[in-house]
Amino acid sequence: MALGFYLDMTMCIGCRACQVACKDKNNLRVGILFRNVHNYETGAYPNSKLYHYSSACYHCTDAKCVKGCPTGAMHYAKDGTVQHDDELCIGCQYCVWNCPYEAPQYIDELNIVKKCDSCKDIRDAGENPACVDACPMRCLEFGDLDELRKKHGADLVTSIPILPTSSSLKPSILIKPRSYALELDFVEKEV
Amino acid sequence: MKRKHWEPGGGNKELRGRDEWVRISWDEALDYIADGLKDAKENYGNNSILAPTFFAAASNFFHNLLSAYGGYTFLEDTGSFGSFWFAHLYGLPPKGYEGANDRMDLRKAETVVLYGGNPAWASTGNRTYNMMQVKKAGANFIYVGPEYNVSANLFDAKWIRVRPGTDTAFLLAVVYTMLKEDDPVSNPIIDWDFLNSYTVGFDAEHMPADAKLDENFKDYILGKYDGQPKTPEWASEICGTPVEDIVWYAREMRKDKKVSILHSYAPSRCNNAESFPQLLMAIAAMGGHFGKPGHSCGGMHDQQAGNCGPPLVYAGTNYDMPELPNPVDDIIYAPEVWDAILEGKYNRTATLTRDLNNEGMRDIDIRVIYHVCRDALAAVVGTNKGIEAHRKVDLVVAHTLSLNSVAQYADIVLPIATQWEIQYDQGYLRQTSREFQMFPSQITEPLYEVQTDQWIGEELAKRLGMDPKIPFPVSLEQRYYDFFAGAQVINEAGTDYENLVTVTEDDIVWWNQNVGKAEGKPQQGRIGLKQLKEVGFYQVPRSEDDNYGHISYEEFVKDPGGNPLSSKSGKFEIYCQSYADVINGMGRSKIKPYPAYARVLNGYEESFSDFDKRIKGDYPYQIFNVHYLRRADTAYDNIPWLKEAWTSPVFINTQDAIEKGVKDGDTVLVWNQYGKILRRASLTNRLMPGCINLPNGAWPEIEEDTGIDKAGGANTLCAPVATGIGVSGYNTNLVDFEKYKGDPLTPDHLWPLRVINYL
Repeated sequence: MALGFYLDMTMCIGCRACQVACKDKNNLRVGILFRNVHNYETGAYPNSKLYHYSSACYHCTDAKCVKGCPTGAMHYAKDGTVQHDDELCIGCQYCVWNCPYEAPQYIDELNIVKKCDSCKDIRDAGENPACVDACPMRCLEFGDLDELRKKHGADLVTSIPILPTSSSLKPSILIKPRSYALELDFVEKEV
Repeated sequence: MKRKHWEPGGGNKELRGRDEWVRISWDEALDYIADGLKDAKENYGNNSILAPTFFAAASNFFHNLLSAYGGYTFLEDTGSFGSFWFAHLYGLPPKGYEGANDRMDLRKAETVVLYGGNPAWASTGNRTYNMMQVKKAGANFIYVGPEYNVSANLFDAKWIRVRPGTDTAFLLAVVYTMLKEDDPVSNPIIDWDFLNSYTVGFDAEHMPADAKLDENFKDYILGKYDGQPKTPEWASEICGTPVEDIVWYAREMRKDKKVSILHSYAPSRCNNAESFPQLLMAIAAMGGHFGKPGHSCGGMHDQQAGNCGPPLVYAGTNYDMPELPNPVDDIIYAPEVWDAILEGKYNRTATLTRDLNNEGMRDIDIRVIYHVCRDALAAVVGTNKGIEAHRKVDLVVAHTLSLNSVAQYADIVLPIATQWEIQYDQGYLRQTSREFQMFPSQITEPLYEVQTDQWIGEELAKRLGMDPKIPFPVSLEQRYYDFFAGAQVINEAGTDYENLVTVTEDDIVWWNQNVGKAEGKPQQGRIGLKQLKEVGFYQVPRSEDDNYGHISYEEFVKDPGGNPLSSKSGKFEIYCQSYADVINGMGRSKIKPYPAYARVLNGYEESFSDFDKRIKGDYPYQIFNVHYLRRADTAYDNIPWLKEAWTSPVFINTQDAIEKGVKDGDTVLVWNQYGKILRRASLTNRLMPGCINLPNGAWPEIEEDTGIDKAGGANTLCAPVATGIGVSGYNTNLVDFEKYKGDPLTPDHLWPLRVINYL
């Protein structure tokens, strides 16, 4: 069992409430995003489609950011999520270079890295991560991936073409994709 | 604060918008304003004071204060609703608001038409989630509009593409097709029983008694009066919809299908769109899509999107102060207001909110512009002309939360407390949804020196020699209490309302000690006053079998004689004499009493210098403005996190952009005879060729030397001209564009904050 996020792309409207709730929870200045929403267009006029993808740390079970951290700042918590100890961080940014998802964010004024901690403090208090509860379409969830898979059916994937090939990291993610999010002709768009 | 070079009488007026600021005390500011108002009243009359905002109730500060002081010139704006104003004359609810069924009934529909509209961006909260339950219940969605937007995409809607402002042509051809294909026996499309029983004016046999013109809708469609049958081939040339899609849409409207047509107001915020609402109604009537489960046709706008019906819970309403009558009857429509200031005259027509008198041209000499509640420079069409008008008058005052456009161009700026700094419901939080009501609380002490609109009004009243109790008979604190205590909730049977809040003597003491000074009486309700204050909202739970469902027009359809509509005949008037008389009396442009095609000012055909030969003109692209999630219309376009999240690009059809050498992210210049803007381009295949989508609400940042608006204010490009009702035609404007040759734009979230560095 591993803990991770579930994203239902068939319900997502790309409103970025998750992104902004995350900034609010973590009090992040402009330029630093622990969660980010990207938009992609596929197909030709007039049959073009749009999809939105909300991503944060994947809390990989074989995380390169943990492996490559020289100080142990990036580490696994008891619940299996990838956590960061700010006190141990020396700002070397090995994790930034090692993560294919751009999850660790270097904050130059602090000379340390920070990233999504899956709102561990809120979860430890029995509630959902801020991004999950902010979603008006209820398309984000966080929990035991085996249970989430049971709950949301079999047609879930752990990667889509817009994402870097990273199966070796064993990202803790479940995605219910839009059918056209599996096409290869995507173009990222500002929306 | 005060503009450095302003002095009584105006000072150096040309420096408005580019002057420096001086910090002054509240007393100084209030004295300046009171003196300015006195000066205007005594020397030029009360109608020299203009308050260019609308909806008096949204901020009755200016309305009651200025009315008590002898009156002011009012700005009339069709605003969000466009040509749906006066819809009650042909039988729809006022402004076409409401009129569809509630969200539970919507799940019974087989076909849902989103006629324009994008609830995912324009009706935030859970509207889109609720509409997704309709999709999951099995309905097929159709989306009609020039851009396959986020909501259409979410619902996998079939895209019926129609150019901006050409909906009348499209729908006339839909009517033609329904008429041509209908056969009561072999192919029943039209509900003739419904037309004959519930409408007038469809054909020669069913004309209303007051008709002055010997013409009817059906014969117009068939081409009897102008020799032009309104065929799909005819319409397609104008609206750009493929002929097969027009035919498909017409068949989908058939009477034996459960069709719910939900319209936004985007197609009505167009020039010459006076026939559109009546035509949408006519087609719904032809299919019999009124007053039955699964069938409906009505508005999809803010809180009632996909969920029409009377409120199940609402806050106390007696906290609204009585509205004083305005002794001045000068009322100017928004697209004509800047010209009125600059030229000193305007056309006083029938109004939206006061009287139907057409008075013709009147002289007007505006000396004071008083902004409250609305950023009229960013929100009213013709921003550049608006700036010119601001630089003409003697005094411009702005009440504002932040340095928005009207504050930038004002002489005296008064900082107003936000919702979060006071114990009071300010306007829009009262409107949530039919089953949910917010009861907001103060969450922080007022920051710096902010004050409320009402405090300012009371202080000005004293300086103007009035008893503050005349304009403001109820204190803010009492209004806040009444907002809670007066709240009503539907009873379980769904038949009547009862008190929401239980109030005890102890509660009233507690309230006075902890919240504010207010009088109240004990009452019995469902939830304690303290508890409601703590929770901050009340929601009525819903289920498909509850007693709270709503089917619009149900009573009318059961008994049209006993439950007549608001029209003169009491039926849906497909021929409506009173509507034509009002519009034609205004003198801007003429309409028929039935829905008919009219060439659209700044519409598709006018993008050609010669439409017959298809030779493009100077401004060959149509531009329209959508609501954007970074801001709420013009409110709060200054939040760095939201600017980072929503970059506010200009959307251009991919092929159009490629032809001009424009790539994603390039800075483009978009211009017409009214202004120039810069934005970064986002190329999309979800937008019709020839169309440009510029999100609304940005705060103009106009460079003085080039005249270029770097922020891309939508109204920098919107023409300050009006047709028909006097509609603010945000969605019918023409432009050209090119890749910008100057320095590319920096992303908005990296721009300096709009804050003042005092001298």
